[in-house]
Amino acid sequence: MKSILPEPLTKELRDRLRGVVGDAWVIGDPDRLLAYESDGLTAYRMTPRAVVLPRDTDEVSRVLGILSQEAVPVVPRGAGTGLSGGALADGDAVVVGTARMTDMLKLDPANRLARVQPGMINADLTTAAEPFGLYYAPDPSSQSACTLGGNVAENSGGPHCLKYGVTSRYVTGLTVVTYDGKIVEMGGFGRECGGYDLVGLFVGSEGCVGIATEIEVRLLPLPEGVRTLLAIFDRLGDAGRAVTEIMAGGLLPAALEIIDGPTIRAVEASVFAAGFPTDAEAALVVEFDGIEVGLAADVERAVRCCREAGAREVRTADSVEERLALWRGRKKAFGAMGQIATDLMVQDGTVPRSKLTDVLGRISEIGVRHDLTIANVFHAGDGNLHPNILFDRSDSEELSRVELASTEIMAACVEAGGTITGEHGVGLDKRRYMSLVHGPEELDAMLRIKAVFDPRGHMNPGKVLPDPPDSVEIAL
Amino acid sequence: MKPLAGLLSERLSKAQVVDGFDTEPWAVCGRLPQAVVFPESEEQVAEVLSLSSEEGWRCVPGGRGSWLHGGQPPQGVDVLVSAERMNEISAYEPADQYIEAQAGAGLDALERRTSECRQWLALDPPGGERGTLGAMLAVGTAGPLQAGFGSPRDLVLGATLVTGDGRVLALGGRVVKNVAGFDLLKLVAGSWGTLGVITSVTMRLHPIPAVDRSLLFKGAEAADGAELACRLAQTALPLAAVELLVPGDGESGVGAPSPLVAVRILESVDAVDEAERVVSERAGMPPVQRLVGEQSAAIFENVRAMEDGAELVLRLSLLPARLPELVQMTSRLRGLYDPTEGWGMRLAAHAHAGVLRVMIARVTRSDGWVDRAKTVLGVLRRSLEAEGGSLVISQGPSEIVGAISAWGELGPAALFTAGIQAAFDPAGILTRGRLAQ
Repeated sequence: MKSILPEPLTKELRDRLRGVVGDAWVIGDPDRLLAYESDGLTAYRMTPRAVVLPRDTDEVSRVLGILSQEAVPVVPRGAGTGLSGGALADGDAVVVGTARMTDMLKLDPANRLARVQPGMINADLTTAAEPFGLYYAPDPSSQSACTLGGNVAENSGGPHCLKYGVTSRYVTGLTVVTYDGKIVEMGGFGRECGGYDLVGLFVGSEGCVGIATEIEVRLLPLPEGVRTLLAIFDRLGDAGRAVTEIMAGGLLPAALEIIDGPTIRAVEASVFAAGFPTDAEAALVVEFDGIEVGLAADVERAVRCCREAGAREVRTADSVEERLALWRGRKKAFGAMGQIATDLMVQDGTVPRSKLTDVLGRISEIGVRHDLTIANVFHAGDGNLHPNILFDRSDSEELSRVELASTEIMAACVEAGGTITGEHGVGLDKRRYMSLVHGPEELDAMLRIKAVFDPRGHMNPGKVLPDPPDSVEIAL
Repeated sequence: MKPLAGLLSERLSKAQVVDGFDTEPWAVCGRLPQAVVFPESEEQVAEVLSLSSEEGWRCVPGGRGSWLHGGQPPQGVDVLVSAERMNEISAYEPADQYIEAQAGAGLDALERRTSECRQWLALDPPGGERGTLGAMLAVGTAGPLQAGFGSPRDLVLGATLVTGDGRVLALGGRVVKNVAGFDLLKLVAGSWGTLGVITSVTMRLHPIPAVDRSLLFKGAEAADGAELACRLAQTALPLAAVELLVPGDGESGVGAPSPLVAVRILESVDAVDEAERVVSERAGMPPVQRLVGEQSAAIFENVRAMEDGAELVLRLSLLPARLPELVQMTSRLRGLYDPTEGWGMRLAAHAHAGVLRVMIARVTRSDGWVDRAKTVLGVLRRSLEAEGGSLVISQGPSEIVGAISAWGELGPAALFTAGIQAAFDPAGILTRGRLAQ
């Protein structure tokens, strides 16, 4: 938890950057840099040397050209909502932010495509597309704040990825600026090129390959109908069984989300109270979308699965207002937890769906053993868990228990055949767990590929890949 | 046995190496390998590749050998590494909807196994069920179902790859949501054997939908068909596929062939009739034919096999709304073939993707035919590229592919090709020349 002020940029370097982006958009004032010392992973604080906010591809290219000439490391940053510390700049790095690159470059309803700047907010894209009967499918919980550039960097998911897939399924083309300032066009819908899928590699590369300055995405037609149901369970395992039954029955819901007892109680104790019974141990939200006339039968089958699995209550929603009410508890879960604990370690792992119940049992046991409150919110349909550990970071002893519990949770996910992050990315936080899922050969292959794009290792240094064993790890 | 085959059989066993005439079925774009090896494990693949890296033998991976003729010919083939004997399904978890199999497992075997649990791999790449899982991933091509389910890159969860220098890399995993590190798996999908030999693949499965129904609509001529296909692809319905099919000149009776638009609907019992109603309304006509269940699947199986027997196969692409223009452009190919020879020229287009496959039964060989093809295809490619599209030669006479590359312009992305290859294959032995450089 360090916050040592780095050395400011030299006047000469600052002036050169100002010459590209304008005086107002090179930030070096320590007070203003405070806004950039953290992201959604609040356990870490690091102050960048400076922040530069370019306006378009050309400015990004010139800014990176200047910084790479001086060998200054670069950390790309969107809205700073990431949960793995990927946008934190350590030591001598300069943050290049996309806050001013928010334009819709092209909306092409006939081809169901949009080309946007990376700083555009995720939800704004859907708002712009809706008048044409279209929307952008990936919907991370932070969609009203997070940027599409950040989504590309993290390969973000969201509740509706169960049916529709994650960000990589929707990004069809990119303009990327590499560390040395080169502008590279990757992919592009309607074009087959016989080269490697650089777009696929770039999505999820967490700012380590370059900065995406333009993003082409596929849009989907808005579904004709949507139906949502909420089932309340006395046992978390029963909710898990309902999920298994729904999927085994051949149904493909748009979303299958669970919040557990501790989360329900946090929500109900907060201003976001959604009317859940506080003695319940799980609430399951199931949503179907598609052709209107087909939905009633799907809902009916899902209701039956929930009842057979032991749901004590099932509510269905038909109107938009009722649907939003059922979702409220799920969507506001993180906010609610913020009200009952000073700090929250949002974990993120994926397990095969059939292992959900086992792994949740182990997580609960880990919480008890380390005397920590762990509240689970998860995308049950695709086995993506978010165990949230509540703590107070001024208590260093508690913090070390949080560390231990996190490591054990990650190990449990991997042992069950899953992975250490489903949608939040590795960033700074999970580098230490990378060797749980990848062997030395795989890590080395990733390093070699990064070096193809960034031979000097100055793009978002210290992220994703673990340091070699002999170097010192950044202490929490 | 030649020295190369001899050395390989010392490492594996005699029964795992063939050379001489026995390599004929394994010609890669007409080039015979010196030896074909049939490793039975990942370790054996690693051994073959390490040895080849040391010796500088040029290797090409293959499955059952059904797609070796496609694309740009590699610079040379010394050893063909076939995954044919690595064909086991190693893990199938219906509850988790994934299947993991060795790369040589056939798509047919996979289908048999998953259909027992009413699940399927929702992909229909060209070539049909005889292809292998590894080849499907290496080629990365999608068929009509991409409209509803995406391409191999979207449904692959994990793969094991043996690199050119014999490193074994386990990429991805068994879960859909997985962002632990750089997604090297995406590089492998569509890499055409240039990064390594794929030894196992894990794919996401889908439940088999309750109803499989295809509607066939008829247009008066190709242009109407293209316009109709576009219109149907633009409905808000979640259609599994919208495919424009224009039979060859020799396949229809008198006059220009009538195009068909095949719409595949995979839905629940309750939704399917409504989908049919909306599609027909949008088409402005009733379907000429309505195929249900196995018949519906069968017509799309035929679409997969449409390239069979073609001498020249092109993939043209533009943004989907421009499909009618794309179809118009094929008239420029008229000079390359004789419509009375075989079935002439067939077209098939994935309307959602803006991809048009052109299949020519036989290219006419008269004086200057190679130059003529070079000019016609070159001009067409340039005009498509200028509009953000592309022209790829999936398969063609070696004279033509040799004269004009199978692939088009890569642009600045080409800067990274050599680096990526070197990261996986430092000795440069794997399928060099196969991809755009």
